[in-house]
Amino acid sequence: MKTLKAGTRLKSAACDTEVMVIRTRPEPVLLCCGGIEMIAMDGQKAGEPDAAFANGTLVGKRYVDEGDTTELLCTKGGKGSLAIDGTPLAVKEAKALPSSD
Amino acid sequence: MRPAHLLAGLRVALEGRGHASDYARLLLASLGAELAPQRDDDGDGDGDGDANEHPALGWRRSGLMALTGRAARAPQMCPLPLTSCADGALAALAALGPGLHVEAGSGAALLGVRARIAGLTRQGAVSPGGTCHLLACRDGHIAVNLARPDDWTMVPAWLEADCNGDWDAIAPWVSTMPAAQLIERARLLGLAVALSAPSTPAPWLEVAVPCTPASPRKAVGTASGPLVIDLSSLWAGPLCGQLLRQLGAAVIKIESQARPDGARNGPAAFFDLLNAGKASVQLDLASPAGRAQLARLMDQADIVIEASRPRALRQMGIDAEAWLTARAGRSWVSITGHGRAEPQAGWIGFGDDAGVGAGLSELMYRVTGEQLICGDAIGDPLTGLHAALAAWASWRSGGGHLLALSLASVLRHCASFAQPASDDLLRDRHARWTRVAKSRRALAPARLPFAPVGAARPLGADTAAVFSAWLRRAA
Repeated sequence: MKTLKAGTRLKSAACDTEVMVIRTRPEPVLLCCGGIEMIAMDGQKAGEPDAAFANGTLVGKRYVDEGDTTELLCTKGGKGSLAIDGTPLAVKEAKALPSSD
Repeated sequence: MRPAHLLAGLRVALEGRGHASDYARLLLASLGAELAPQRDDDGDGDGDGDANEHPALGWRRSGLMALTGRAARAPQMCPLPLTSCADGALAALAALGPGLHVEAGSGAALLGVRARIAGLTRQGAVSPGGTCHLLACRDGHIAVNLARPDDWTMVPAWLEADCNGDWDAIAPWVSTMPAAQLIERARLLGLAVALSAPSTPAPWLEVAVPCTPASPRKAVGTASGPLVIDLSSLWAGPLCGQLLRQLGAAVIKIESQARPDGARNGPAAFFDLLNAGKASVQLDLASPAGRAQLARLMDQADIVIEASRPRALRQMGIDAEAWLTARAGRSWVSITGHGRAEPQAGWIGFGDDAGVGAGLSELMYRVTGEQLICGDAIGDPLTGLHAALAAWASWRSGGGHLLALSLASVLRHCASFAQPASDDLLRDRHARWTRVAKSRRALAPARLPFAPVGAARPLGADTAAVFSAWLRRAA
């Protein structure tokens, strides 16, 4: 379990996935990718994705938990899928376009 | 591959003295056209020949002068002939086919048209549209463009600080951080951030994956014009599509149900200007059925215009290279912020921040000592004009090209055109051009290259009609 912070970068211990935390809740969470807890960017890989968490991540997509309290941006895609406290995260829709730039 | 062969064998006579004509000839020559010899100009290189509008008058008449400078102070001159680049790109395009109205200043008029319609004005270090701010960081200045409302939700992650909300809250955090770190994190997050730094030249167009072209095509009338699928939004891509329509193309604008063109929520007159006359098709691109419909329409098309990051299209199963090789004679126009190569392909860019990244604000700082945004989303209309030229040149030459343009490279190409060799010359030109601009009392804007033709089609108004036409063709 870890307390996440906006801006923190993490990587998967089971695949190539990397994420940045966009927003989160104050309580500690168990953030996993491929069924293994995600690690710091300089951490060591610890296995392969669990078949139950192997739907993959896509770079540029944002992932949210069921209660919409935590949002992650995938900065590098991989084979594992993301989950918080055992519940898979869902892809959030792309940003609406601006009316002008 | 260099773009040089697109117009190989085409002989163009393009008269006119001054920066705009010079820029038009430069573009046509870069596409391989053979230019008929010119009379000598007066040799002062200042663009004050009798045919072209003086770039200083162009800057003022197009409205860009009123859009540049601090709100409470006098409007500012940009000592680069950027309006001449717009006039020149339009003249080069018009040399390839009839349908566009070209007079001195009509290309430049496109650069100021959105602000004229929306009533925008200069705000110093803030873009006229209000979403792009030049901010001081620890070791320089960066442009930050939070154009999409959702961008604000990324700010705490970008700065690793609890400062969601407004620009005043962001500035102190940014001031303590180095530019390299701010830019690297912004790129990871998909935020449009650029370093304000001196400009370096770049080619305006890259032609990739050429396929065997069909035979060169003559100038076309409406009956035999290409079918264009326009997947783009906002300004640059839609302008490109509208210019092609004026030249004889039939254009279908395709929008996603979940993510229609955001410009529909802006001033209607501006959206109409860029999109009237195009058929409007709405598809559910999140569903396999919608994507299959898109593939069917794209199968009919001769030219595709898109302004997405390459990976976004790949994730939808759209592949430019495969589309080009599936049938000879096609052209694909890719408009990005910073190019299709990795890692730039993943970076976001809008017109104002791309202008800063191309060196315009750094140049304005050198001549005025102030941090200023130049014009209104200036990268958009300039890129739209250049993209139309590339598309029409490719179409005329028989197609088979992936035409890659970026806001950054078009702006760098324009910014390096006729740029003085020293700061002294730059400041001298700034003073002279400011006097030239102030020497006239009132200046009405030039006529646009195309007249507004009424209202754009409502979102999806032609979906059924376009598909029944497709079924008839397929039967």
